Amino acid sequence: MKYFAKFGDIEREFHFDRSGGQLRASCGDRSWNVDLAMVGDGAFSLIVDGRCYDCLIDREEGHSVVQVRGERMVIDIEDERERAAHALASARTGGRQIIEASMPGIVVDVKVEVGQRVEAGQTVVVLEAMKMQNPLAAEADGIVSSVLCKKGLAVAGGAALVEIDPPPEG
Amino acid sequence: MSKPPFKRVLIANRGEIAMRVMRTAREMGIETVAVYSDADRNALHARRADIAVHIGPSAPSESYLRGDKILAAAKQVGADCIHPGYGFLSENAAFSDACEKAGVVFVGPSAHAIRLMGDKVEARRAADAAEVPLVPGLKDDVRDDAVLIEKAAEIGYPVMLKAAAGGGGKGIRIVHEEKKLLQAAELARNEARAAFGDDRVYLEKFVTRPRHVEVQIVADQHGNVTAFGERECSVQRRHQKLVEESPCSVVTPELRERMCDAAQRLARAVGYVGAGTIEFLHSEGEFYFLEMNTRLQVEHPITEMRFGVDLVREMFRVAAGETVMECPEPRGHAIEIRINAEDPETYFPSLGSIRRLNMPGGPGVRLDSCLYRGMEVTPYYDSMLAKLVVHAEDRPRAIERAIRALQEMRLVGVATSIPVALRALQSELFRSGDYDTSILEKIDRRPPAEMIDVGMLAAAVGHYLHTEEVAAPSATDGLGPRMPMWKVVDRVERLGRRPL
Repeated sequence: MKYFAKFGDIEREFHFDRSGGQLRASCGDRSWNVDLAMVGDGAFSLIVDGRCYDCLIDREEGHSVVQVRGERMVIDIEDERERAAHALASARTGGRQIIEASMPGIVVDVKVEVGQRVEAGQTVVVLEAMKMQNPLAAEADGIVSSVLCKKGLAVAGGAALVEIDPPPEG
Repeated sequence: MSKPPFKRVLIANRGEIAMRVMRTAREMGIETVAVYSDADRNALHARRADIAVHIGPSAPSESYLRGDKILAAAKQVGADCIHPGYGFLSENAAFSDACEKAGVVFVGPSAHAIRLMGDKVEARRAADAAEVPLVPGLKDDVRDDAVLIEKAAEIGYPVMLKAAAGGGGKGIRIVHEEKKLLQAAELARNEARAAFGDDRVYLEKFVTRPRHVEVQIVADQHGNVTAFGERECSVQRRHQKLVEESPCSVVTPELRERMCDAAQRLARAVGYVGAGTIEFLHSEGEFYFLEMNTRLQVEHPITEMRFGVDLVREMFRVAAGETVMECPEPRGHAIEIRINAEDPETYFPSLGSIRRLNMPGGPGVRLDSCLYRGMEVTPYYDSMLAKLVVHAEDRPRAIERAIRALQEMRLVGVATSIPVALRALQSELFRSGDYDTSILEKIDRRPPAEMIDVGMLAAAVGHYLHTEEVAAPSATDGLGPRMPMWKVVDRVERLGRRPL
């Protein structure tokens, strides 16, 4: 089975083989002897061709957070079966923008109302978290179709705040 | 032990700075009193103090900003002084006044000095009068949109909007063109109102190749002002400092003397007592007064490491009427890295609970922190969790030491500023010493190629072993039984989360 890893715009395909009595990983024309040992709660010792990497690996839905030598990388990971399942599920909902809370915070200002026309870059909501005010802007021109928040509301990260439909043709 | 200058100190703060003050107080034989909000019942400061007093709900405006509750707590437990740390009430003149009236020593400057220096407009006037150079700008808050537009054009874009009552990078907006000016002014005012309850902002020129260099002073009640050299704080994101070092590589001995003189002059002119920092903007060999922070600064440990002093001890001593020490000969180079709970890409705060923790150690490493395993990072307070400080013989060795220590540090549960700090420290720009406040925008933020390789491989191997175990939980292949590691992880996690 193939394993697909994605970090930023880098995508790689890994294969694994245990047949030689040792776990062998390959990616394109490169391959390595790999030994991953769990040494504690989420702490791993990864030895790749004899080189040691003390890692922390947190597996979450669809991605893993890997920490090694001060780096922290969020890596999307899926195997062949999962990829097929995801492809099937991603029936797209065309055009509508959803302005989401970029972090947990408090809505300190809602600058639009339903039916209002907005331009790309226009601030629609101002969110405050940890004493910083952050304007959230429309990504493209459109018409506000629903406002799902109000001033003073505490929202979770990723919460939908405003929905914007594409502008009518012409 | 010599006689302590105070019997019992109430520390009107939380987080790493409450721990920092507590440590010195303990060494001096001063009993410590912590105050805590609902969210901080389990916080280190509330567990490690000699006495702890609950002061209200989690929101700072209901607890750590409530001078009345804090003063009542001080009276209740018989504290003879209050150390405000930084942030919260540290630069609140009314609180300093209230302490004095209540007969509790405020370990910091007088209400008059706080009022004068805390108001950026007043501070510029005072600096001007003490012949400390200023950046071109307006000395007053301007409310009239048309006048604001006209004045900004006169000063020349880019311009900066700063909260009159601000500090710590809060309430600052840079404007590059006229059409963004009014919106930025509105946002700056809103931020200022929310953060400081005062929405005045003022306008000034945004200088080129700016470096943020500041001078640490401690002044006593007898007119002595000691300057402990400078700190370079130009590695910033969102106008907030991330990495600081001392000394600054572009400050010559001659310039240092002029900056320290200016800082001492200003402190004397306003009758300052206590620890304070005069922030300068350094631009192409010149320096301009930015503001004075009338409190202990976050980055004070680099000064302590380099000069071998304890600034908190000096604060207690001068507050008790003792004479401030003279400045010792500095040694080597010190660097501080702020460990913030934030996304290294967007710099947005990252919330969660700290599930795993590896602290750095070894030669020349100091960690000022409030971290513990199981700690919740909540949206109520600042995102700074710890400060990693290193000291070494010279700058190149301090950089290598900082990188080494950062690579030892691990936090699981929230994202941190560690990768960004590493990128900065490893960059040629930082190593050259010839950088300015735009350094983080200029450096490559990607991890080194080797780490990307390892990270992607680790994620893939982890996933492979997991799916393999799910498919055949008890499979053996001649290599002996494999540990069903993800199950163990899940179990440990669950156990870890079980309330005690």
